[in-house]
Amino acid sequence: MKRTLSILLASLFVIAGAIVAVAARAGGEVPEPPAIGATIADFTLPDVDNKNHSLKSLAGKNGTVLIFISVQCPVSNAYNERMEKLAQDYKAKGINVIGINANVAEDAAAVKAHAAEHNLTFPILKDPGNKIADKLGAAVTPEAYFLDPNNKLLYHGRIDNARNAAQVETSDLRNALDSALADKAVEKTEAKAFGCSIKRA
Amino acid sequence: MRITRAIIPITLCVLLVSLAAPAQKRYGRTAKPPQTAVVSPIDTDALKGLLTQQRERPLLVNFWATFCDPCRDEFPELVKINNDYGSKSLEFFTVSLDDMSEIKKEVPKFLDAMKAKMPAYLLNVNDPEPAINLVDRKWRGDLPATYLYNEKGEIVYKHIGRVNIAELREAIDKVVKKGSS
Repeated sequence: MKRTLSILLASLFVIAGAIVAVAARAGGEVPEPPAIGATIADFTLPDVDNKNHSLKSLAGKNGTVLIFISVQCPVSNAYNERMEKLAQDYKAKGINVIGINANVAEDAAAVKAHAAEHNLTFPILKDPGNKIADKLGAAVTPEAYFLDPNNKLLYHGRIDNARNAAQVETSDLRNALDSALADKAVEKTEAKAFGCSIKRA
Repeated sequence: MRITRAIIPITLCVLLVSLAAPAQKRYGRTAKPPQTAVVSPIDTDALKGLLTQQRERPLLVNFWATFCDPCRDEFPELVKINNDYGSKSLEFFTVSLDDMSEIKKEVPKFLDAMKAKMPAYLLNVNDPEPAINLVDRKWRGDLPATYLYNEKGEIVYKHIGRVNIAELREAIDKVVKKGSS
């Protein structure tokens, strides 16, 4: 009888916890992103084949770009070619691009198929329970974070100013990477990312 | 026996039609829906003008996009708010952040399906950041975003993400003059 009661109580606690978590999320507020200059702690996430990778293992010797991306978001998809080009252009310069998919409704198989369909060759990790999206305060897709070799955040925000590639006037992310590679301070450290809200768990 | 044979297909047809009709109505996929919603392009300066002009009524503004699921989900309730309060007590306009190519396609199609009557704009800019900062420096551009201004143009309520309708209505009730609806 005592055992049944304790199981019942434990279950009630779990349910109550889940309700509180959902209620907190229903507020719609995305956690605040870390400040520019903050150090991002190493993390481990699974890739689309469920193989774990740490940030450290994928980082470039001159820095790392994390981009939250999506399978279905038309804004994120408008950037597929630009993201792949960015990864190709900067790989040779020692900066690695890592895609992160934190959308709860897009599973690893969908992310894998999408990457193949759009020729995305940079590593893409799944963020189950959007823990890293929460840690980084990522709100939308696409949204980028540029870290130096010591994981210090140098730039956070959009890739460039326009969803339509023909209307690009300011390549904020590329400018940040070029400044860092030239040992110069990043002039514009933040630019608001515009896109689809990350569908959190 | 013959009658029974005839009744079965007829019954099946009636059943199919009755099942299909509400689905068509729900998704607005009638054969050729007459498009009535007018969506006007708006740039950052024009948006600033709309937000800062002198007004006699509170103003509700909803930023949304057809590709944004929570925007679509909350829209029927916003249409209801517009219908309930009416333009005499509350100004209300929507700003779509869809691509300009959707101004005569998906955006009016959705507004028609929603029977939305409030003025509708589409942000036509190469760079959305100045417009986002104009509305609210703390807004990060994620959708939907809903802002309520009092007659003085001060933000009295805002919500980023799917809005809590009861909370929004409560905020509107606080600023809408009684008897003006």
